[in-house]
Amino acid sequence: MRRIRVENVTKSIDGEVILDNLSLEIPQGQFFALLGPSGCGKTTLLRLLAGLEGVDSGRIYLGDEDITHVPIYKRRINTVFQQYALFPHLTVFENIAYSLRVKKMSSEKIKTKTQDALKMVRLAGLDGKYPASLSGGQQQRVALARAIVNEPDVLLLDEPLAALDLKLKEEMLIELIDLQDKLETTFIYVTHDQAEALTVADQMAIMNKRGKLEQIGTPKQIYEFPTTRFVANFVGSTNIIEGTFHVRDGQQKVEVEGLTIFNVYNPLDKHWMIPGCRLFMSIRPEKIYISKTEKEGFSNHIQGRVVDIIYYGMSTRYYVKLRNGQVLIVFEQNEEHFPQEVIDYDDLVHLYFQKENVVLLEH
Amino acid sequence: MKIIRRIVAEEFPFILACPALVWQVFFLFLPVCVLLLYSFFELIPGHWLGSFTLDYYRQIVHSRALWAILNSSILALITSTICFVLAYPLAYFLAIKVAKKLRMFFLFLLILPSWTSIVVQVYAWFFLLDKKGYLTQFLYNAGFISDNFHFLNSYGTILIGMVSAYLPFMVFPIYAVLERMDKRFLEASADLGANGRETFRRVVFPLSLPGVYAGFLLVFIPSFGEFAIPSLLGGSKYAFWGSVIVDRFLRSRDWRSGAALAILGVSIPVMLVASSFIVKKIIEIKKRREKKRLTAVKDQW
Repeated sequence: MRRIRVENVTKSIDGEVILDNLSLEIPQGQFFALLGPSGCGKTTLLRLLAGLEGVDSGRIYLGDEDITHVPIYKRRINTVFQQYALFPHLTVFENIAYSLRVKKMSSEKIKTKTQDALKMVRLAGLDGKYPASLSGGQQQRVALARAIVNEPDVLLLDEPLAALDLKLKEEMLIELIDLQDKLETTFIYVTHDQAEALTVADQMAIMNKRGKLEQIGTPKQIYEFPTTRFVANFVGSTNIIEGTFHVRDGQQKVEVEGLTIFNVYNPLDKHWMIPGCRLFMSIRPEKIYISKTEKEGFSNHIQGRVVDIIYYGMSTRYYVKLRNGQVLIVFEQNEEHFPQEVIDYDDLVHLYFQKENVVLLEH
Repeated sequence: MKIIRRIVAEEFPFILACPALVWQVFFLFLPVCVLLLYSFFELIPGHWLGSFTLDYYRQIVHSRALWAILNSSILALITSTICFVLAYPLAYFLAIKVAKKLRMFFLFLLILPSWTSIVVQVYAWFFLLDKKGYLTQFLYNAGFISDNFHFLNSYGTILIGMVSAYLPFMVFPIYAVLERMDKRFLEASADLGANGRETFRRVVFPLSLPGVYAGFLLVFIPSFGEFAIPSLLGGSKYAFWGSVIVDRFLRSRDWRSGAALAILGVSIPVMLVASSFIVKKIIEIKKRREKKRLTAVKDQW
């Protein structure tokens, strides 16, 4: 097994600590996304894995082999660089064949392998062109082909789609997923775009601004069950409400001063969840039901006034001001051309949500 | 009025360029044309221009002066080659290894001698290489050279002078290209398995070639026409193009054959540049034809 293991890695650049005692394990053959805000050290971690920079302390393993001090050109890890870094003086073919030429492979072998890689990224026929004459998406594919032609154990992708427009980005995301399925190489994908990460990842890790890992899990785990306030806020949008935790008659409750008492349900036994403690509730905007009339069958109900409406086409986002002044965000799908009730500015609305959909987070 | 104003507005860049253009035409192109006429027409007293003749060229071809052109070409070639060999590592060191703050200082040191005239630079060499010069005396006292050893008036000394005068003109273009080169190409190359030597051979050097070409042009052309350094450091032992022309014009007052020699010499670098340009064009056209052929084959399929 050629998994990647990072153990207690610390790295400072110009006296500033970027990564602090970071440990992480990435199983083989996964599409792994590293997600974090700009400047959180995710690119630095990638550079350490690639060997472009050395660690201050800690170890990096590829499989059982300690590669901490193996020089970059001897690692079986290749990178797709952010701005692609294609060699401008070489044709597409020569760019892709570069690592094979360095290895002194026979020219027939180079030819077949390069053509295969070109086909893999759907660029067959462009081998004689120079990078400068290609579009952004084509350059991206050449960079990809150049990195996979040598069959690395691990492929690192540093914000590979940042320079592409939205439509092309979505197309490339799907191609990347297909490519990873075919190759079964471990892909480590660094991005600050949560939508990209959720789309491609089998597993993802969230890093915070101080270069610490906040949570690792599948996209669904990360989105539905964030374990920290940072993750809940960073991935998707959410409503955070502060309150006090109580247990009454075996029922979990959160009391919010000046508002109401919410019913919550948290099956996991978290050590900090002792009655009387302060905590945050996180409730996703699409999990709140909005209506002008009263409904039955929901475990939580509050009222508020609409202060803002943003129409997105497929959905509408409502900003609803509660009695205590807090504003909640609510998404509603626009399912009908002519909805039964039209919600407008300043309307008094009822908000409903189920207790199972509330995530409790440590204060 | 309006039309004039519009023309002025539209052609403003051209108007701005005019002083320099006029200067070039009057003080450079016209004299060269006069030289050209001088070299092709017979001198008949009382007439400004005589009948057409190739005598002056014939005279040059049959004299030692032709050898002077060859001498100068060889000298220029050796000078630019030595400059290249010395300049490339220096430029690489400055552009890649030296901290940004220190680069300017090193470049300043490099260009400092060029702020004085070449003649002054040559006389500085005299202080070192003269029979009583510091270096000669030092080497003699240390026992490396004998009493009758002469630095001056030798080909090696000419080269020392030439290289020291023209080295900066090779360093700067190469430095500029290397300094501007995207350092991520180095990272990408290492990432793809190339060690430092391979990266240099496959990426750094090919990408720096425009700087190398520029450096060769900047050194070859002026050192081809250089006459001060060879005649001061080499004495009268070697005849170079520049010094022979000076001789013809100033000493023997033979403007006609001097002009012919000048035209012959100028045409050599011009032909060099032109032929390299033509070769490049031919290769391009061949490539395009090949491509057309390939796509045609593909279409058949």
